[in-house]
Amino acid sequence: MGASMSISSLFGKLFGSKEVRILMLGLDAAGKTTILYKLKLNQTMTTIPTVGFNVETFTYKNIKFNMWDVGGQDKIRPLWRHYYSGTQGLVFVVDSSDHARIDEARTELHRILNDLEMSDCLLLVFANKQDLDGAMDPQTITEKLQLSKLKERPWFVQPAIAIEGEGLTEGFGWLSDNIKKMPKYGGK
Amino acid sequence: MASTLPALRRTSSAVSHANGEGLQHRRSLSTIPSIRPGRSPQPPTARISETDRISDPSLKSKAPSTATGASSQHSSLSSNAQPRHSGALRRPHKLRSQYPRGSTENHVEYILVASFDIDRGPVMEHQYPVAITGDEHMLAELMLPDQAHVRNQDWTIFFLHKDTSQEEDDAERFAKEERRARRNRKPDRAKGIIHESDDEEDEDDDLEDDDWDDVMSADSEPDLEGPPLVYVLNLVNTKQDKTVKRGAVVKAMAICTRHPFLHIYKPLLLLALEEYFKAPVPETLAMLYTAVNEMDLSLMPKLSLLERHLLQSSENKDLFVEKFEAMIEARIAETSGVDVHQPFDASSGPPRRPPIFRSGSKAHIEGHAAHVVPRDTHEFESKVMYKGIPIPIKVPVAVMPEIVGDFSLIKLIQNFSDSHSKTPQTFPLHPHLTTNGPNTHPIIVLINALLTQKRIIFLGHNMPSGEVAEAVLAACALASGGILRGFTRYAFPYTDLTKVDDLLRVPGFIAGVTNPTFEHHPEWWDLLCDLPTGKMKISSKIEPAPITEGLVYFQQQNPAYANLVHTSTSGSGSSSNNDLTGDAAFMADIHRSIASRAGERVVRAKWRAWVLKFTRIAAAFEESVYGASALYIGSDEQEANLTGGAAAQGHGYVWVDEATKARELAGNVTRIEGWRNTRSYYSFIQDVARLYTIRPLKGLDLAHLHDRLRTQRLSPPQSREIYETLAQYVRSYDEICLLLSVAPESQAGLFYVALGLFHKDRDVRHKTAELLERIAEHDAGQHWWRSLSRFEKLAYVRIKKEAEAEEARAKVEEKEAGFGVVTVGVDKRVS
Repeated sequence: MGASMSISSLFGKLFGSKEVRILMLGLDAAGKTTILYKLKLNQTMTTIPTVGFNVETFTYKNIKFNMWDVGGQDKIRPLWRHYYSGTQGLVFVVDSSDHARIDEARTELHRILNDLEMSDCLLLVFANKQDLDGAMDPQTITEKLQLSKLKERPWFVQPAIAIEGEGLTEGFGWLSDNIKKMPKYGGK
Repeated sequence: MASTLPALRRTSSAVSHANGEGLQHRRSLSTIPSIRPGRSPQPPTARISETDRISDPSLKSKAPSTATGASSQHSSLSSNAQPRHSGALRRPHKLRSQYPRGSTENHVEYILVASFDIDRGPVMEHQYPVAITGDEHMLAELMLPDQAHVRNQDWTIFFLHKDTSQEEDDAERFAKEERRARRNRKPDRAKGIIHESDDEEDEDDDLEDDDWDDVMSADSEPDLEGPPLVYVLNLVNTKQDKTVKRGAVVKAMAICTRHPFLHIYKPLLLLALEEYFKAPVPETLAMLYTAVNEMDLSLMPKLSLLERHLLQSSENKDLFVEKFEAMIEARIAETSGVDVHQPFDASSGPPRRPPIFRSGSKAHIEGHAAHVVPRDTHEFESKVMYKGIPIPIKVPVAVMPEIVGDFSLIKLIQNFSDSHSKTPQTFPLHPHLTTNGPNTHPIIVLINALLTQKRIIFLGHNMPSGEVAEAVLAACALASGGILRGFTRYAFPYTDLTKVDDLLRVPGFIAGVTNPTFEHHPEWWDLLCDLPTGKMKISSKIEPAPITEGLVYFQQQNPAYANLVHTSTSGSGSSSNNDLTGDAAFMADIHRSIASRAGERVVRAKWRAWVLKFTRIAAAFEESVYGASALYIGSDEQEANLTGGAAAQGHGYVWVDEATKARELAGNVTRIEGWRNTRSYYSFIQDVARLYTIRPLKGLDLAHLHDRLRTQRLSPPQSREIYETLAQYVRSYDEICLLLSVAPESQAGLFYVALGLFHKDRDVRHKTAELLERIAEHDAGQHWWRSLSRFEKLAYVRIKKEAEAEEARAKVEEKEAGFGVVTVGVDKRVS
């Protein structure tokens, strides 16, 4: 018990002091704000369209996340680039039931990842709204988003139902494991 | 042209200006059929112009005066040849309304409504009476500030820069030239070359008013800066609504006006936006538009620049109340058809008139008065009828340049002082900013950044954007003090990421944002002021201050003080310990004032004094280092004409001794050098030149004379010279205003002037008494006189008695010895 305490406070020292900046993007109405507040408050909030952005800080697995959720209407997408600098992880949220716009989502995702400032960041894709009829499974999403094209970058697709909170801890578990592996956090 | 960004204008020399349109395209509002008739002089109604004649006799009866003896001496250096008429101490300018009835100029020019479309983002819904051409989308974005979705209500403010079309330009230029031509005729007339007919007199009075307005008017800034700004006040509401897709409706309504006091429209916007949620049609906009434009401000008198300065820095609620009364008298006369042209019979006393009551007085409340004088002359009270409900409105009477909206300097100062006083902030050194070393007070860092035209961002994460906008407006007022310009035009009280590319093309700006992303981009700003924490940050990417010629010259000329100068190589010198600039003491004084609950007006007056002092120190610096300065104009010719002797010829800031001067200059060198070449520096030079052409007492620096009385130890002959100069030259209405402005009530008032009552020289005592008597009869001066100490008033009474006794004695002697005079003469000849 005593030993485990000291280990966790050691982790606290290693990671707790430094914030990890996460940027959450995706087309409008994909569920970004719902995910943010589910993680922050563990509550399902009725969200309304985001004018501009939301930003919240929360701790998960001893890592302090500073998570930005930026509005997704196509007119305001050009602003996304201003949030890139200093971002360590990109959370890309997809409405898995929206077959019509999955190609649009792919285009936006690759545009983000091609930016020089995003070259080192991790990619977590939430295949959201798995509860809806006709939702694409993670495999289909992976193909549609052409993630196999990404060479060096660690990426992961996590199926999720944000309003139930399903899949969120798994996704952030992957994210924190990989952040700890990054050189600046003492990983190799 | 609704562009929110000013055209980039780089001024390259003191006089020439504004070459080129800058890097960034502006859009034009110009398709709108000339909403604003050029600033041609508005013919006042003839009846109002008669008020002076009415008020003069009645006022004179209030203040019985002994002969002012004005006729024999030159009262005004600028109008030497002009015979002084008896009413010289009364306002020489015709009473006019700031917003005359029948003016074609609207209070409000446009009403806009935008909403956040769940698919498209911000969109414009309606514009009334016509659409502002240009980028509608950009306007809609500004109307829906970041995070509007997390609060039910938010205010924002932003400015639009209007591009005047060619025609409008020409029309304005024509009107200006016309006025200039007439102005040039004026000196001739003054010299008696042109005979004045009664008709011309009217026009002449207009000119005087226009002169003052042209120089510095808040809502029409002159040419250097381009066309006037359109100020936009915007209200955004978010309403949760389960019946609509995605659960909420976000709508914003904005009022676009040229009045810098845009905050008066807040209650109306609240009502009208509520109405619009119920009835989202253009008629709702039209109703608001009509209501606000029917607001009657015609009884608000127009004040000259000097009068505005006096009113702004005075706490007195009665200052210039006479003007309000006169406006009402004129209106009553006009409506009742009384022939006011008839001069009154002096014996029948002042004319009977319907009583005029102060607002809030018993009579007013009981409903006896149709017109009331405001309870505080700083604010004109009016109302707007909206849907049958009278909404009370208070409009500031004295509007100064760069003062926009309602904000609080006290709040701004406290915001950045509280955390500093607990844990002093240590800044990385920058010669322009940290003039008192690493522990320079954050507010001083801020004002230095403003003066040296840095890129400044106010960040208020999770704050309503209205609060961020207020901080920006307060910062502009802080650096301007109503004296310097070029801040509001480059201010973006609220902006967001959508405008960042345009923003970065502006060299030096003051912007308010709520998005903390700005903090992550130190390449976007030089100084970041974080409102929630009260901390300021100097950017790690700020451009280093160059070593300038002026700085090198100063060090060469003052080797003993060279190491006090804070350059990038020498670090802070020893300035950090010594408070060479006096800013630490100044900030301590400000904190004391705030702690003792001094009002906003007092604090503004103190900052105004700080800015004024800075400009005067800069002038002294330029004169000593470069040998000349355009920051002060005193014509040599005029000085030579002065008969007041050496005292009258001095000018500029006054130090106790040369060493004090050198130390204070050493502390200021870097920021003065950083200020030179900025927009505010060049527009100040222009203002100084313009003001010179119309100001009273050219060639005489009253501030200098008063400062000498205040700060230096003078020998009796030295002070005698000063008192005599003041007594000799300060005579007319404007001249007294000028003297009052250099001796503000918030400092010592007339204390130092009145010390002349105790001069060892009898003649000086008597002349000072006469000067004070003139001041006591002056509309504004009477209040200064009243706050004079009892001690000095008693001295005045004693001297007056003495003078009367002497006069009486002289008369008696004259009568008793009719030929006595001759005898004396004979005696003399004999001896």
